[in-house]
Amino acid sequence: MTLETEVQSLRQVPMFRDVDPARLKLLAFTSERVQFADGQRFFSQGDPSDAAYVILDGRASVLLNTPGGEIQVAELGGNALVGEMGILSDTPRSATIMAAEPTTALRIDKRVFLELLAQFPQMSLAIMRELAKRLERTNAQLVAQSSS
Amino acid sequence: MEKSLFRYIWTHSKRDQMIICAVVLASLPFYFMSLDLPRQIVNQAIQGEAFRDGNATAPFLNLSFDWPGWLGGGSWEIFKGFEVGRVGLLMGLSFIFLFFVIVNGAFKYWINVSKGVLGERMLRRMRFDLFAMVLRFTPDALRTVKSSETATIVKDEVEPIGGFIGDAFITPVFLGTQAITALVFIMVQNVWLGLIALSVIAVQFTIIPRLRRELLRLGKQRQLASRQLAGRIAEVLDGIEVVHVHNAYGWERAEIGHRLFNLFSIRLKIYNRKFFVKTLNNFLAQLTPFFFYAIGGYFALRGTLDIGQLVAVIAAYRELPPPLKELIDWDQQRLDVQVKYDQVTQHFAEDRLGPMIEMREVAEADQPLIGTLVGEEIRVAGPHGDLILEGGAFTVELPAHVALISNGGAAASLLARILARRSLEFSGRIRIGERDLTQLPVYVTGRRIAYAGVDPILFPGSIRDNLVYGLRSKPLGRQREDRQDMDRRIAEALRTGNPIESISDQWVDYERLGVKDEDELDRILLDLLDKVGMGDTIYLFGLAGRIDPERHASLAERLVEARHRLRDTFQSNGMADLVEPFDPARYNSQATIAENLLFGVPISDEFRGRNLADNAQFRSAIDRAGMTDDLVGMGLQIAETMTEIFEGLPPGHSLFEQFSFIGADELTEFEAILRRRSRGEGNLKREDRTRLLSLPLAYIEARHRLGLLDEAMTGRIVEARGLVREVLEKSGSAGVEFYDPEGICTAAPLRDNLLFGRVSYQVANARARVGEAVAAVVRELDLQEEVDRVGLEYQVGTAGRLLSPQERASVNLVRCLVKRPDILVIDGAFAPFDEARSQQLMQLLLDMFDQQSLFMVLPNDRQAGDFDVQMRFRDGQIITDKTAAPASRAPSPEPDAPQRIAGEVA
Repeated sequence: MTLETEVQSLRQVPMFRDVDPARLKLLAFTSERVQFADGQRFFSQGDPSDAAYVILDGRASVLLNTPGGEIQVAELGGNALVGEMGILSDTPRSATIMAAEPTTALRIDKRVFLELLAQFPQMSLAIMRELAKRLERTNAQLVAQSSS
Repeated sequence: MEKSLFRYIWTHSKRDQMIICAVVLASLPFYFMSLDLPRQIVNQAIQGEAFRDGNATAPFLNLSFDWPGWLGGGSWEIFKGFEVGRVGLLMGLSFIFLFFVIVNGAFKYWINVSKGVLGERMLRRMRFDLFAMVLRFTPDALRTVKSSETATIVKDEVEPIGGFIGDAFITPVFLGTQAITALVFIMVQNVWLGLIALSVIAVQFTIIPRLRRELLRLGKQRQLASRQLAGRIAEVLDGIEVVHVHNAYGWERAEIGHRLFNLFSIRLKIYNRKFFVKTLNNFLAQLTPFFFYAIGGYFALRGTLDIGQLVAVIAAYRELPPPLKELIDWDQQRLDVQVKYDQVTQHFAEDRLGPMIEMREVAEADQPLIGTLVGEEIRVAGPHGDLILEGGAFTVELPAHVALISNGGAAASLLARILARRSLEFSGRIRIGERDLTQLPVYVTGRRIAYAGVDPILFPGSIRDNLVYGLRSKPLGRQREDRQDMDRRIAEALRTGNPIESISDQWVDYERLGVKDEDELDRILLDLLDKVGMGDTIYLFGLAGRIDPERHASLAERLVEARHRLRDTFQSNGMADLVEPFDPARYNSQATIAENLLFGVPISDEFRGRNLADNAQFRSAIDRAGMTDDLVGMGLQIAETMTEIFEGLPPGHSLFEQFSFIGADELTEFEAILRRRSRGEGNLKREDRTRLLSLPLAYIEARHRLGLLDEAMTGRIVEARGLVREVLEKSGSAGVEFYDPEGICTAAPLRDNLLFGRVSYQVANARARVGEAVAAVVRELDLQEEVDRVGLEYQVGTAGRLLSPQERASVNLVRCLVKRPDILVIDGAFAPFDEARSQQLMQLLLDMFDQQSLFMVLPNDRQAGDFDVQMRFRDGQIITDKTAAPASRAPSPEPDAPQRIAGEVA
């Protein structure tokens, strides 16, 4: 797998869909491709947020700490972006991500990511658009819940 | 130092000066004879004057002496000589001429060498004297003395003085004799003409020096201005951070530009003046012949002066100006260096220097500093005349732990400095037992008192060098050196007033520390470093350090074993994919292409980084392997990708530095290369090819993922490896040390030797996990101490800048602790540490100093309870409280050995 295939994967991520291809290439180039063994953690809940990950190949579970132990709340597959909220809002990890099988991911360093955003407004706009869409969806869900 | 340069020179070199002077005088007869011989050869042998009376032979080597008339006349023949023919005489005289040429040459050689050596010896003496005075600057003087200016003085300003010393006495003697001889000759021919010549010379000797006085003043100015320039440049460099922070580039540039203009103006004035004086001097020198021609000629026409005499006088006068001119030049030079010397001695004026440092040691005086410490009537004035301590008094029974609790003012710190003998600016008395603290000799205080202030001063060198700095008080003479070299070195040192001690001697007194040798001392150092919390850092420094197979023989022996053990650990723990080992037969995808081609570590710079692409041997090797075109092709691909994805980033952006193969300033150049190529301008130029070639050399497939390498390509690179090695080995250049799976590579860091491979970029968290595994194997094989020992060789850089502030403070602290002082004074040495760490360190010191005294300046009394005595400062008074129940001195149980973190291995 080369840089080109990683760029293809990044393009599948909604947040990066509208970003200029050359910028995506830069994002991919400045990121690291890392492999996780089955059961290895990307990060644990409460850790400082230092990077976001795009899953290129494999699956990962999202785990939450509860008084009764860790419970799985979701599963992520190919082209999923994870950990981006933490690096944008500068808060600790809100969940644990653990590889559910041998998984390859692209690790986007927080510092590099923020520098790219600062440097290229067009990238920031694309992110904002995606965040706005998510908010809209959440609002719609709230409305649907309260009306039901 | 002597006030007068001449006295200084004469005091220290009269014997040599007189010997050289005598040899110069002894050489004169030979010189004159060699001048006379050509005339004899022409007249007597070639023109045949000696055979004038039809003689077939003439005497050769006839030595006879004509007594002057007033002694009765007649002649005295010492040796009749040989009777020889014309050819015989010619050959005989010619060979005598040759003989004199050789003798004169030999004289000249000896005189020049002796003068040079004399000058160098005096220069060495002067520089050493100056340096000895540098060590004696008083604290007051040190506030105004600039280090770079002092360095310029010791290095540059005394240099011309050294060059002059060889000529200081010989030149005036030699030239003066010559000039006087010519003058006397003129006087003998005609008193009046002689007087004319004399009066013009008198005018020359009065006016010229007067005019030159201005030159000297300018010279002085210039010397000061250039010294300050050197000082200013050093200041800017030392304070460069402030310049960056406040964007003061414009100001600093203008500042230096202004100074340079000043220097230029002074220089210009000097030139104008200098050449004016020169012109005037030449004019005066030519004035005398004018008088000779006009007045002498007039008398000759009137018949009162013999024409023959006039011609002789003019001929004699021609001999006069050169020595006179040189004499005046010498005088100028003399004044010049005298000015320089005065400037130098002013910098080291007596009132800026402290007393001579007593080097002699008296064994009786060196007693432990315990007993009753009594301070009486202590008065200390602040920098603005305000009284900080006024009649302070205290009594403490040593050894004790004393907290000096600051009241927010300078009192606590000042008292700490006084107790550590760092400051003598106080009045009153401080005694330890019967001894006056201020009267203790430096070798006692140096050995028995340690002081750690806010500013940890480290010298460039290894951590070990800095730690043992306080132990090097005198050489013990255990190092054997070559007898002959040593004699020569010591003889020279004695002749020039330099110290005879050698730094290659053993200076550390192991016995006093209770250790056998360097290894045991290292163990103590490592133990202390560990206690102050620097153990992990030293371990990491050790892993990053290089091994010297001679120094670290046992480590070198076991390194390969450790390497195999590590590999087994990886295999058995399922960590095999974490490290890709160096394998002579396989491509390492975690390493650069350059590393894969060399399969070794560059030793010389021409094989490092981008220089490799330009290296002729390397190029010929990859040419032979047929790889050049492939690599240039990869270079093109890299250049294309880089110019595409880094386009639009401003130059100097941190992403460039961190990720790009190409620097921001090179981007346009590579774009130009790509454009030239896309326009199809034939083959690439040689420089372009070299530039492109340098790109893939830094390419790591696993990290950069541009997909440039396929199986076939990596196979060819591995094949080319052998060829590269063969070419480099054949050319005999020792530029690369090759990897050997069964041997160590001294050019590579210790951790590379352990891993013998590269940590995978692709496996998450690989570095930390490999670090843990390495630490485990190092512990298992009991190599930790050896690794730490390599870590002690870590270079701290100028003023310790390669260390973090915490590390600098730790090294400073251990340097004090390893001395085992009777009294340790801590005054702000914990400033770089956070509160928890400071608390730990304080507790550590309290535990360690159960038999010795510890004085510590504390910002408040929160932590003062652990000390036996608390000193507070109020209204210039010292209030001493004793803790009701002194902290228990019972040895506290040994804390668990500190857990070592594994650290990153990268």
